[in-house]
Amino acid sequence: MIRSILAAGVLLASTGAFAQGAFPARPITMIVAFPPGGVADITARPTAAAMEKILKQPVSVTNRPGAAGAVGNAAVANAKPDGYTILMALSSISVIPAADELFNRRPAYALDQFAPIALISADPTILVSHPSLPVKTLKDLVALARARPGELSYSSSGVYGALHMPMEIFMHATKLKMRHVPTTGGGPAINAILGGHVALTAGGPAAISGHVKAGKMRPLASWGATRHASYPNVPTFMEMGYKNVEYYIWAGMFAPKATPDAVMKVLRDTARKTVADPDFRKAMAAVDSLVQYKDAPEFQQYWMADAKRLAGLVRIVGKVEAKK
Amino acid sequence: MAETFQNLLLGFSVALQPSILVYAFVGCLIGTLVGMMPGLGPLAGISLLLPATFGLNPIIAIVLLAGVYYGAMYGGSTTSILLRIPGEAASVMTCVDGYAMTQRGRAGPALAIAAIGSFVAGTLGVIGLMLLAPTLAEFALRFGPPEYTALLLMGLFILAYMSGGSMLKTLAMAALGLMLGMIGIDVMSGYTRFSLGIVELGDGVGIVPVAVGLFGVSEILLAAGATAALPVQRPKLRELIPSREEFRLSAGPIARGSLLGFMIGIIPGSAHIISSFVSYGIERRLSKHPERFGQGAIEGVAGPESANNAAATGAFVPMMALGIPTSPVTAVMIAAIMVHGILPGPMLIQQQPELFWGFVASMYVGNVVLLILNLPMVGLFVNLLRIPYAYLYPCILCFCILGTYSVSNSLVDVWILLVMGGLGYVLRKLGYDLAPVALGLVLAPMLELSLRQSLAMSAGDYGIFLDRPIATTMLALGVVLFLFALKPLVFKGKDWRDQVGLEKQ
Repeated sequence: MIRSILAAGVLLASTGAFAQGAFPARPITMIVAFPPGGVADITARPTAAAMEKILKQPVSVTNRPGAAGAVGNAAVANAKPDGYTILMALSSISVIPAADELFNRRPAYALDQFAPIALISADPTILVSHPSLPVKTLKDLVALARARPGELSYSSSGVYGALHMPMEIFMHATKLKMRHVPTTGGGPAINAILGGHVALTAGGPAAISGHVKAGKMRPLASWGATRHASYPNVPTFMEMGYKNVEYYIWAGMFAPKATPDAVMKVLRDTARKTVADPDFRKAMAAVDSLVQYKDAPEFQQYWMADAKRLAGLVRIVGKVEAKK
Repeated sequence: MAETFQNLLLGFSVALQPSILVYAFVGCLIGTLVGMMPGLGPLAGISLLLPATFGLNPIIAIVLLAGVYYGAMYGGSTTSILLRIPGEAASVMTCVDGYAMTQRGRAGPALAIAAIGSFVAGTLGVIGLMLLAPTLAEFALRFGPPEYTALLLMGLFILAYMSGGSMLKTLAMAALGLMLGMIGIDVMSGYTRFSLGIVELGDGVGIVPVAVGLFGVSEILLAAGATAALPVQRPKLRELIPSREEFRLSAGPIARGSLLGFMIGIIPGSAHIISSFVSYGIERRLSKHPERFGQGAIEGVAGPESANNAAATGAFVPMMALGIPTSPVTAVMIAAIMVHGILPGPMLIQQQPELFWGFVASMYVGNVVLLILNLPMVGLFVNLLRIPYAYLYPCILCFCILGTYSVSNSLVDVWILLVMGGLGYVLRKLGYDLAPVALGLVLAPMLELSLRQSLAMSAGDYGIFLDRPIATTMLALGVVLFLFALKPLVFKGKDWRDQVGLEKQ
């Protein structure tokens, strides 16, 4: 009996030492805080497949949807920091704590519980209008919205969601007032404009592309820094003179904060090799998503600036809503 | 017409390729199993399978996933009928009369009618999809928030009008369901309501754990508390086949359920589950013997089961004709073709004729496969009842918990399941009907969201409901039904409910 306990102890100690020696020694779980089929999931699957080839260990994608991503993000924030649980997050990771603060909720997680691994992709949203709206350009739209304050309506993926924030950035910059019709996701937001129930929406480039080509929506401007390759005729807000109107739905990988440096290095190296993988490139091109790689230090900087700006915006929007 | 026929030939030339045929069969098989697993519904099933389709070609991917989807709709009825455990949310109504039939030794006919009804509804649905998709899709888009609000209100009025048993008890249960539906993040403002600080409750209480808990777990608890051990059933082969009378009674409900389900299925949103509730209500109202409902009326199985299958097919209309996801299930299916570089949109049918027509043809094949798969299995499934309850029920409880957990890998859902099981036990001991709780829970968040979206569109002007013909018509119809329901309260003694024996309790 005692011998077997001792043997088990030795065995445990040796696997422990082995795990410390070479990361990864067992399968890695990549958490996606959204249901299958969404942007995060579609980015995570090819990323995980490429990482598997590089790390020679299975990387399995686990969907933990709930509360607009708060559930899955919190799960990784509180996971054991050993690198075996990582997160494929969307830009909404920065907005959730700010919204929690605004509503005096116990925050699901804090941003400083995460260590960034790498930025994988960033897609600018594109402003589209219903064809019945008498505007051909962004300039027309601004003029119309100014002439009829509070009358034009737009749909979003949900309050403070990925398709709500870009509209707020735009309205904040132009001091325009419009009606907000939140829905429960990117799909319903697009349906609302297709049916003519709202006049405008900010859409992901891939999600709207078929409708734009069929003439069911009119693209007016892009939130990107440069013109989107699939929409060469659509100007950016910045070209049109709105300097700070820039927004991306980005996807990036994170690990829990206390993950050891050695493990982080392996994960960062893997991410760098992943974005160069031809199969990964092909998969991202198929969904019309722009690969935008940034290693941890630059990503950290980018992320913090983005988070600060969005949190500020949430507070401004929240105060406006409260006044009504 | 000739063009349609040619296209369909193209479709069959795709769908009858051995590789695609095999995947259609596998999809139907997996779907049937997923539907039978308590808690695991079509959404969970195709979500779990989605990653596996990334390596296949898009036609195979969509044929496989569609097979899982309508296969689950077939399979969902099995556990509802045999064990009173809804295999998926749309089968809640089937529990009521299906299980009553099982208790009367008519499990075989109930299962057979459910399979035949699903087959008829599925096939009619595919014909509708094939001939009417572009026309109906434009109609579907006109369903904005105001129309949706009107539809849901009509659903609630129908519930009040059609309910069996004590009106007070029914409304109390509906109110409980509506209140449970208030839990979670308010989509319009972002405030969290009644979540007790549990992050998972931010999404609200899911219908899956509530339905499985209220119906399934409570049934297991009741069986454990029964003083006399339940007799194990030994059905004979002769009793597996529906009688001529049962066929005759089912024909109307299947036809009406198919039409109703298809129409509701087309409408964007997650209202598909109400198709089975509404169908049940209509059949009870139309029946010459409404008192039989709840005691094992075959119409109460035939109608809702046809309706939920037709709704599943109806949901493909806007998905294929417009390339828009109108429900979580079709959203996952669109993702499945998007990863192959096919971007959804209204040009989908023109640009990808092989995809669309192959898909349509595969659904004809799939429905036949499901019928062949399900009818002989009726005998097998019914024999499950031979297992003594002491062994059967612990296994079922285990499956309930596993199925519920696996939907979103959430332990909170398991706790909801168990609490609802306890609650359902108490309520059933007190003689309450539980179906209105499930309906209330489904309707509350959708109704609130669409009402407030409508008001956001009109800047707070209720006139929006009167400006739009579809919404106005449905609201008027709902109000008329509501007044009918109120009539007996005003004119005592003239209660049709009393005449037809509904108030007996």
